[in-house]
Amino acid sequence: MSSLLRGEEMCLAQLFLQSGSAYDCISELGELGLVEFRDLNPSVTAFQRKHVNEIKKCEEMERILGYLLREVKKADISLPERDVNPVAPLPKHVMAIMEQLQRLEVELGEVTRNKEKLQRNLLELTEYTHMLRITRKFVQRTAEREPLQVQYEEFPFLEKETMMDYSSMQRLGAKLGFISGLIQRVKIEAFERMLWRVCKGYTILSYAEVEEYLENPDTGEPTKCVVFLISYWGDQIGQKVKKICDCYHCHVYPYPSSNEERNDVVEGLRTRIQDLHTVLNRTEDYLRQVLIKASESVYTWVIQVKKMKAIYYILNLCSFDVTNKCLIAEVWCPVNDIPTLRRALEEGSRKSGATVPSFVNRIPTSDTPPTLIKTNKFTSGFQNIVDAYGVGSYREVNPAPFTIITFPFLFAVMFGDLGHGVIMAVFAAWMVLCENNRKLKNTRNEIWNTFFEGRYIILMMGLFSIYTGLIYNDCFSKSLNIFGSGWSVKAMGWTKEQWENNRFLTLDPNVTGVFKGPYPLGIDPIWNLASNRLTFLNSYKMKMSVILGIIHMSFGVILSTYNYLHFRKKYNLYLVFLPELLFLLCLFGYLVFMILYKWLAFSAKDSRHAPSILIHFINMFLMQGDGLQPLYPGQTGLQIFLVVIAVLSVPVLLLGKPVYLYWLHNGSHRLGLYRGYERVRRNSEEELYLMRAHDMEEGSSHSDLSSSGENPTEEFDFADELLHQAIHTIEYCLGCVSNTASYLRLWALSLAHAQLSEVLWAMVMRVGLRMDSTLGVLFLVPVFGLFAVLTVSILLVMEGLSAFLHALRLHWVEFQNKFYGGTGVKFCPFAFSLLPSSFEHDGLL
Amino acid sequence: KEEGKITLTFNVDHGYLEGLVRGMKAGILTSTDYHNLAQCDTLEDMKLHLQSTDYGKLLSSSEEDLTVSLVDSKLRANLVTEFSCLRSNALPPLSTFLDYITYSYMIDNVVMLITGALKQRDVAELLPRCHPLGAFDQMAAVGIARTPTELYSAILVDTPLAPFFQDAVSESNLDEMEAEILRNKLYKAYIESFHSFCKNIGGVTADIMCPVLEFEADRRTFIITVNSFGTELSGADKSALYPSCGKLYPEGLRLLAKAEDHEQVKAVANCYPEYKLIFDDPEPGADFKTLEDRFFEQEVKLNMLAFLQQFHFGVFYSYVKLKEQESRNIVWIAECVTQRQKSKIHNYIPIFPGTH
Repeated sequence: MSSLLRGEEMCLAQLFLQSGSAYDCISELGELGLVEFRDLNPSVTAFQRKHVNEIKKCEEMERILGYLLREVKKADISLPERDVNPVAPLPKHVMAIMEQLQRLEVELGEVTRNKEKLQRNLLELTEYTHMLRITRKFVQRTAEREPLQVQYEEFPFLEKETMMDYSSMQRLGAKLGFISGLIQRVKIEAFERMLWRVCKGYTILSYAEVEEYLENPDTGEPTKCVVFLISYWGDQIGQKVKKICDCYHCHVYPYPSSNEERNDVVEGLRTRIQDLHTVLNRTEDYLRQVLIKASESVYTWVIQVKKMKAIYYILNLCSFDVTNKCLIAEVWCPVNDIPTLRRALEEGSRKSGATVPSFVNRIPTSDTPPTLIKTNKFTSGFQNIVDAYGVGSYREVNPAPFTIITFPFLFAVMFGDLGHGVIMAVFAAWMVLCENNRKLKNTRNEIWNTFFEGRYIILMMGLFSIYTGLIYNDCFSKSLNIFGSGWSVKAMGWTKEQWENNRFLTLDPNVTGVFKGPYPLGIDPIWNLASNRLTFLNSYKMKMSVILGIIHMSFGVILSTYNYLHFRKKYNLYLVFLPELLFLLCLFGYLVFMILYKWLAFSAKDSRHAPSILIHFINMFLMQGDGLQPLYPGQTGLQIFLVVIAVLSVPVLLLGKPVYLYWLHNGSHRLGLYRGYERVRRNSEEELYLMRAHDMEEGSSHSDLSSSGENPTEEFDFADELLHQAIHTIEYCLGCVSNTASYLRLWALSLAHAQLSEVLWAMVMRVGLRMDSTLGVLFLVPVFGLFAVLTVSILLVMEGLSAFLHALRLHWVEFQNKFYGGTGVKFCPFAFSLLPSSFEHDGLL
Repeated sequence: KEEGKITLTFNVDHGYLEGLVRGMKAGILTSTDYHNLAQCDTLEDMKLHLQSTDYGKLLSSSEEDLTVSLVDSKLRANLVTEFSCLRSNALPPLSTFLDYITYSYMIDNVVMLITGALKQRDVAELLPRCHPLGAFDQMAAVGIARTPTELYSAILVDTPLAPFFQDAVSESNLDEMEAEILRNKLYKAYIESFHSFCKNIGGVTADIMCPVLEFEADRRTFIITVNSFGTELSGADKSALYPSCGKLYPEGLRLLAKAEDHEQVKAVANCYPEYKLIFDDPEPGADFKTLEDRFFEQEVKLNMLAFLQQFHFGVFYSYVKLKEQESRNIVWIAECVTQRQKSKIHNYIPIFPGTH
């Protein structure tokens, strides 16, 4: 408990690691996650450090692993169970892993390259068959058309040529040539245009689309292609046409000169395609086998490489001692865990078989240690709420343990509804029960993760909402009549006419038998029927908010004493804490007293004479109250006394601490003693002695070494101190007023929630309930659906979030600013479990 | 009035991209990064260091051994990825603006292909050397053309470069000299067109871009003049190549066309304070810098100014140019590292000095 309240006690320790066993020792420490390493060579750049080559090797392995993982993903092979947690491999085993990985990479690369080659080949062959099939149609078509005498008016020369046979063209010195191939459909228009421009029309282009989608070998996407056939005259033009084809990335295939040749080629292609298919299948099978074999151990390798890289990274932070035989590391470590640390080092040395053991040595320091607060799955959510405001200073009182209760409670005050609370608690309980379900835990949905991380908070909020719902007697805006109302209508003895003629009737508790006593738990259900229900509840909830707020704030002020006592600043107890508490209690505590007094002192009989507390409270400051009847004898005197005390505590708060510190500083230098953090050092007399000797050498004052400089030192500045205290005083005194008002949000949110759920009931559910026919039952189904959806989305999610935010604010601002500094640094241990893997980041795992 | 409208609605259309490009600009290497890079002993060290910058795993994701040319192509690919992301999200007129940026690379590619074809190089060998930002469909067919007219009417008429051909059409056979002249003519038309485009957009874009483009025009003028010493290019020929949108126009251009040696060029530059600095003799103590480097330095300075204002397109142009300069710097350092020329390693041109 003390560790949850204050955080762990930390110390700076030096680890002397024998160079032979350093790797194993750090591996042990990484598994345990005990210590935070400090960088001992901050001036050395990353690539000049000792183990940079090993890190490079790890990165090389990571690259290969990334490649493997991508291939495994591509092949749609699922990775095996991920619960294995292999230890970091020994440096001598690394080479084996490296070799294995490299072999796999080479093998995989070869197979994939082969496969790609085969696929490309297959694609070419299919393209060729398509081309042959389609160009045959061109030829047939032209053959059919020829008798029809196609007119190319633009090219009279061509027109003549078409009529000639090939030999006559040869005689003219021009050779008819064909180029045929495939081109992507998007490019065909530009292609045609350029052909026309460059060749000035000495070509004929005919093309037709391939019906099927062919895979684009570069991108792997299916694309539509077009088969084209260019007939041209002359070699020069042919050259140009070829160049243009190259430019548009056409796949050009030889054009068969005769029909027989064409048939032969088609036949040959068919058999080759079949052969290719079988080869390709074999290759794919083999590839799959290789990948499955790789996927079995790939996860282990990923973890091992990650750990190894982390270890070398840590080794880079260490420095060598003079003899170069052992590594020195500096770590922050919780004092309680030092024995575990020792054992871990022994274990590491034993594993590596080192003759000289590695050992720990605590060293004194003047640095403020990082803050470590050990949490479990229940408390971590609440600790996160506190840490989001600011990580506590070292050994400061941690608000988290109190937050566990106050946070859900304040939330529930705003969210008070039994029904909504039950839904929320059930949802949270489901998450808690299924918390080991990997699917829920490892999802990458951020919104879901937020809810899942806070499942215990939600559970507590739900349970507390059930409680406050019972107190408010609200269940989906309706009241539960469990114990029977304490009011009796019968006892009023109303006649039939009175019933019929009045829309509203007043129950008078003063008539005997009407009010039989308070309802055992919470608000009496009869108020649900009353027209003045809102007025009644408002008054009740408002006063309750003020009472809760003052209690909450006073508690915060009282918690500050723990800090003062722990940090040996006793004077703060009298000069800060006492005036603060007096100020708060004399003014607002008295307000609470008046509220309670009024509740207790006035019953139904004399409720007509009940005074207004507000007027009394205002009169208290004006120090007059002659016109009013006093609440109790001696009220005026007490009130004047309280106001005087409150007013007097302001100058004490303002001047007390600075003046005392001034006196302390000017009056006695001798008073400065070892305080605060040197408790760590006290454990070893020898070290203390060393410290002192060190001090003498340095010639500095003792207080220089104490952790946060709580003792006034030479650089004590009275004006500075006074200014700070003045700011604090103003902030506190004004804050008391504004913070108390701020707690009224409890009332406002609670009112809003209750009203909203009532509106929802009246506008949706009641509409369905009003229909009193068989149809009404059917109608009720969609109406209830709507009601349920709106309840969950608006009342639970939206209202819940808003109440959560307000509760958060009440804790961060109103509560924590009374005592919590939150200026610490979080302890981040070197633990393998906390290391992110780049593969997770890339979504490969 | 138009200016106000553009500023008012700028974020609706281009706010996202401006934010994006400013974010990417924050990843430009700082002087500390350069300092660390300059300490590297091998390319592997550089890779390790670049990992901690915005380049991340860019260099480490390949299996091949690291070479300077690999570094260069990776950096270029990186820039192209970023640029195409911007381009594919851009709305007009920003999309046109971004297209204009690519035209200069297209011109370089065309000329490179022509000279390659003249040297009987294979197109397949030339294409990978083209800058991917200036890639276009008809690129591979450029080598077919024998004259600029043919080049224009057969191949480039469909490309965005077509409008720049107005003055460049000629029937003379393409040789190396002609290709170089063609490049400069195209570039002149391009930069003038870009200049007037930015002017038409108006507002801050014009305020930022016009000085940058004017500087670019003048730089070309100077370079053409300096390179023309010792060739048979006449004054009239030269002045046909000078872009007329720069600060040198018109008097400076006239004088430069007549210039015969370096001293005369320097005399012209002396009349313009911003160019006087560039042509000044280096101080005795300082490192010697080439004219090109001095121009680059000045360009970086101008481009950095673009980021001081909001609601304009200049940031996109400047980002591309700065990133290009950064690639040049990294490649320079990598070159020095591999050739063990530690003494010259500091001759890169720092971008955003003083930012950390």
